[in-house]
Amino acid sequence: MNLERIPNEEKLQLCRRYYLGGFAFLPFLWLVNVMWFFKEAFLKPAYTEQPQLKSYVKKSAMGLLLWVAVLTTWITIFQHFRARWGEVGDYLSFTIPLGTA
Amino acid sequence: MRKMEDLISINCVKLLIIALFYTCVSCSSVEQKIYVELNDTVPCVRLLNATHQIGCQSSMSGDTGVLHVLESEDDLDWILNTGPHPPYMIVMETAFFNRSVMLRMKNSSRVSGVAVIVSKTGLAENFSPHTTCPNQNTGVYSEDYGPELANCNVTAWNPLGNGLSYEDFSFPVFALKDENQTQVIRKCYEDHNLRVNGSAPQYPLCAMQLFSHMHAVTDTVTCMRRTDLQNRFSINPEVLCDPLSDFNVWSSTRPLNNSAKGHKTNESVVIAATRLDGRSFFWDEAPAAEGTVSGIVTLLAAVHALHPVTQQAPPLRNIFFTFFQGEAFDYIGSSKMVYDMERNEFVIDLDNVHSMLEIGQVGLRSGRDLWMHSDPISFKNNSVKDEVSLMMKNMQSVAAGLNISLDEPPVTQPLPPSSLQRFLRVRPIPGLVLADHRTSFINRYYESVYDDAENLNVSYPPNLSPDEQLVFETEEAKSLAEVATLVARSLYQQAGGEERNLNNITADPKIVAQLLYGFLIQKNNSWFRSLLPPEVTKKGANSILSSGPPQFYIGVGPRNIGPVHSVTRFVQYIMANLTGTVTNLTETQCQNPESKDLFSYFWVTGPSVNGSGEPLCVRASVRLAKAVSPAFERMEYGSRDYSTWTESRWKSIRARVFLVASRELEMLTLGVGVAVLLLSLLVTYFISSKAELLFSSSRETPTTTY
Repeated sequence: MNLERIPNEEKLQLCRRYYLGGFAFLPFLWLVNVMWFFKEAFLKPAYTEQPQLKSYVKKSAMGLLLWVAVLTTWITIFQHFRARWGEVGDYLSFTIPLGTA
Repeated sequence: MRKMEDLISINCVKLLIIALFYTCVSCSSVEQKIYVELNDTVPCVRLLNATHQIGCQSSMSGDTGVLHVLESEDDLDWILNTGPHPPYMIVMETAFFNRSVMLRMKNSSRVSGVAVIVSKTGLAENFSPHTTCPNQNTGVYSEDYGPELANCNVTAWNPLGNGLSYEDFSFPVFALKDENQTQVIRKCYEDHNLRVNGSAPQYPLCAMQLFSHMHAVTDTVTCMRRTDLQNRFSINPEVLCDPLSDFNVWSSTRPLNNSAKGHKTNESVVIAATRLDGRSFFWDEAPAAEGTVSGIVTLLAAVHALHPVTQQAPPLRNIFFTFFQGEAFDYIGSSKMVYDMERNEFVIDLDNVHSMLEIGQVGLRSGRDLWMHSDPISFKNNSVKDEVSLMMKNMQSVAAGLNISLDEPPVTQPLPPSSLQRFLRVRPIPGLVLADHRTSFINRYYESVYDDAENLNVSYPPNLSPDEQLVFETEEAKSLAEVATLVARSLYQQAGGEERNLNNITADPKIVAQLLYGFLIQKNNSWFRSLLPPEVTKKGANSILSSGPPQFYIGVGPRNIGPVHSVTRFVQYIMANLTGTVTNLTETQCQNPESKDLFSYFWVTGPSVNGSGEPLCVRASVRLAKAVSPAFERMEYGSRDYSTWTESRWKSIRARVFLVASRELEMLTLGVGVAVLLLSLLVTYFISSKAELLFSSSRETPTTTY
């Protein structure tokens, strides 16, 4: 979809939809929101809907950063300690590597 | 003109096709020019029990190392400290395969694998990779029963044991048994890896890669849990390990109704037992000559000696012969039989058992003494004490008649590791273990690859054909025949038989000689072939009748050559041959008999006289009973009472030898490749951006008419 050809209200609605959708445990929607509307929100000359667009993009970026931080922490802990957790580690795993603890 | 052109082009196409065909037929693979694959690898695999893992493990894509032959202390220093091309793949001479060297390898990070040369040159005087106290946690002696005798406090049964089989190595260890293959490796080493005047050899160097990646880790509990999880939740379930299992063989002089399990009224039974298995450091290699074959051969010969007398003058009690499988791994077979007896799921139960005689290691008697081991703690029970004393007195009187010196070891000495211990755990049963050692084992190669025919001094004169060797009576055969006669007469007397029949019971040295040949030298011999089923005999090398001596490692079932281990099959069919009667049933009647309660029916090849023979149907009271540890039936994988041994699964085990280049050369090649890639990308970009300039046609006129 080419953003050039859409009127500004529709752009705002789209951005809002993506922002609200991300709350359903879908951080990739927030990532897409940030990447897609970054130019529109910060690099284009001002228009009426832009401040709201800006706020949506900023909030999406913050949510995304939070998710990245949580996931990175959990993944690091899991990869490091799974072997030590024994039974719990096995029940939490989807695939267990063969031949190593 | 057109037709000529067509003809020429058709001929060109035909020529091209023929040329391609020729090149494809004579093409050669690049892989074959680089790698020399080693066939017939003998690996060391990973075994797990309730708490530990033992054995060896390699990386998933194999472990590679520069070859170095370990022949002297200098080499050891080179490998572990000074050599400039770590990690090394060691080719170890026989003399260096001991505990201290292997533990140094284990602790070093410069060793990526070991290939041990298995030969008799340089072999130390003794080598036993088993522990000093076999099966110490699953025997009868524990905190509650004879604590002062537990953990080999009084007698270390295997003092020469170095415990290597029970160590956990993180690199692969293979055995090199084939002399030709070892020569190939040595030649590669001598051509490329030798030190010239003390300086390090130059690249390219000869390297070896060993693949033996094991799937299971940590212990049986973890491995079984992961297997269960895989079976329930994974799209592609994979089993990680299998419990060690096979079958026990049992038979009785008076047939027992196998369909009625539990206590048999008015049936009092004397059990004669021995073990069927052995092990070594390497997988599926266990010649077990003194440790196992001596017992099997003695009991089979005693069965043969007893058969005519027990038919004509049956003794008071029944004699129950049993061969336990898996005794090397915490008494798998005997614990299963006792477990079934306790729960009334076996043909008899413990109330039917009157007494027990077990045959331990009896091969290294060398004309001397035999010893009757008994359990001192059970003597507190007076009836047991009296019965055992009676047994000993009877055996000694029989032995005196046979000119065998039979004696008791010191009174305070516990029982050696034996199946009788599992029976005593449940009930005080009068029992004896017959052995050729007074205290510790005489066997200097207990549970190792070197416990073979040479260890028992079984050798044949040269220039004998295989059929002549089959019936040649060696000294060992005569010695074991004497022991078998002693066992047979003692069993008859113990079972309440009459004294006057004792002298008719004699073991035949010819049968003993045939059994020794079959179990120690060559299992594909004419006698074994005649008593196995025709489909096994016809398959030849691909079945249990492959060339060479049988291996006694229990393994896991099912196997690719059949559901039952080869040794178990041999013992089953030999027992059928020695105690069975020939019936005149046809093949279909034999496979589907009317009643399987008292007897089983075997369709065997039969003796071939002058190259032709008719198959026969033999009826015998020989049965197989599943030998898998009760821990797996009860799903208590962390059990301390029962054996929990499992063997890991693996995908491929192989080895190959090739030349490697130095690290610098590899990096250089990679760098040049990356540079060429970047250069080509650059050139392509330039050409693409200046495309109109480079590829414009000068004949084109810019004018256009509208």
